[in-house]
Amino acid sequence: MPELVAQNRYAVVAVILFGIGLLNLMLQQNLVKKVIGLSIMDSAIFMLLASLGYIEGHGAPIVEEGAVDASLYINPIPSGLVLTGIVVSVSVTAFSLALVQRIYQRYGTVELPELLERAKKEED
Amino acid sequence: MSERGGWKRFADWVNGETEAGDPTTQYVMDRRPARIQEAHELHEARERLRLKKFLGLYPLAAGLLCVVLIFILLSTVIYIPPFGQPGNPTNNEVSQHYLEKTVEETGASNAVTGMILCYRGFDTLGESCVLFLAVSSVMILLQRDRNNTGERAQLRMKREDAAERGHEDNILQKSAKLLIPFVFLFAAYVLMNGESSPGGGFSGGAILSGGLILYSVAFGPERLSRLLTRSLYSGVRVVGLMAYALTYGVYIFAGANGLSIDMEWMMTVIELAVGLVVACAIYGFYAMFQRGKI
Amino acid sequence: MTLLENILLVGLIVCAAAAPLCKRLLASVIVYLSFSVMLAVLWSVLESPDLAMTEAAVGAGVSGILFFLTLKKINALKGTRDE
Repeated sequence: MPELVAQNRYAVVAVILFGIGLLNLMLQQNLVKKVIGLSIMDSAIFMLLASLGYIEGHGAPIVEEGAVDASLYINPIPSGLVLTGIVVSVSVTAFSLALVQRIYQRYGTVELPELLERAKKEED
Repeated sequence: MSERGGWKRFADWVNGETEAGDPTTQYVMDRRPARIQEAHELHEARERLRLKKFLGLYPLAAGLLCVVLIFILLSTVIYIPPFGQPGNPTNNEVSQHYLEKTVEETGASNAVTGMILCYRGFDTLGESCVLFLAVSSVMILLQRDRNNTGERAQLRMKREDAAERGHEDNILQKSAKLLIPFVFLFAAYVLMNGESSPGGGFSGGAILSGGLILYSVAFGPERLSRLLTRSLYSGVRVVGLMAYALTYGVYIFAGANGLSIDMEWMMTVIELAVGLVVACAIYGFYAMFQRGKI
Repeated sequence: MTLLENILLVGLIVCAAAAPLCKRLLASVIVYLSFSVMLAVLWSVLESPDLAMTEAAVGAGVSGILFFLTLKKINALKGTRDE
């Protein structure tokens, strides 16, 4: 068991980070902390993906002249996928923070219980 | 007892509360317009009770769900192939092709840049569109104009802006004057050299927007918005995306079919376009968050 | 190399667990930013310099600015400026 965990340490850590992020997303009462939890979940996914492409002892995927051999470099595909993913995750963060700002302008709070109460009061 | 039950049912019926039983009555009751609700406090108390019950039950259910999910994922993840071995199923002939053919097919020696800009350019095009749309939706949410914010909020924000304008930071200005040229130089280097060294459109654009943000923080947003006006900003944003789409379209029609065309300049153009889109997006986020206008 | 990796992995878990537990929003945002910086170092350990640069510029820099501006807008920074 321990050597299984040690073999796949990145995947295990990614799952733990994902769980932490999901718990925060569901259980935190503060909207900003919920956004932080969402970002942590994003990072966990990126870590799992990037660790799948790593090959021990191989270099960064920048092909040097005269050394065009696939067994010298790591797998570039997960890196490319994660690269686009990081930028998209930042735009998701920005959009959710903009929503948080609008909610604060409307209701004057970012704590979820107060927010629900005020929204309900306004509805009646 | 039964009489009382009957009376209660009758009272319920009068009050307009439906009860499972006679389907005809049920139908008629459902069709009736809603009667006047019960007293306001009663309603509110019940709603609060329901909310409290929900809030009490929800953390338990959420925590249980998370723990079960983590357990399932962990028991799955232990059996994926060991980390860092060359024989793993992810390292197949696709990545081998990308690594061995990038230099001759795309002219980029950085395989990641070659992959995301040429082999998988559609992916990156869609991603640039996501950034474009994200900036547009943040603008819809936070732009400060008559439709979006009230008179009083606008006045308050104006006062805050004025209070900040008089508050200039000498250390920040001096160090920004020293740093900004190097930041822009580094951004240009990363943007232009993406095909032969680490970097490329995304990181170069982010560094470029970092320089813009530093300028705006140090010297005040007004001075930057005199240089980078709203129309210039929108123009650059749209031109970046259009240049990407056009160049990549030309590449798809001409180069991807095995015809040999010179890819070097196309890569540079695409990279510049991606960099501009990313820089505009991030600067747009900053400007919208900071003061609601470009 | 493995030692650095293990330190970084443990640090990531600690930061991710600590970020939302902080009482002040400013502190939790700062802990989240340190999480991002550690992730950037981890990318360069994993031989992906492109990712490291993008994460350091975007994850640690830009999202930090966005979080701080949001905290300022929702008045969560009261009492942190010394006047």
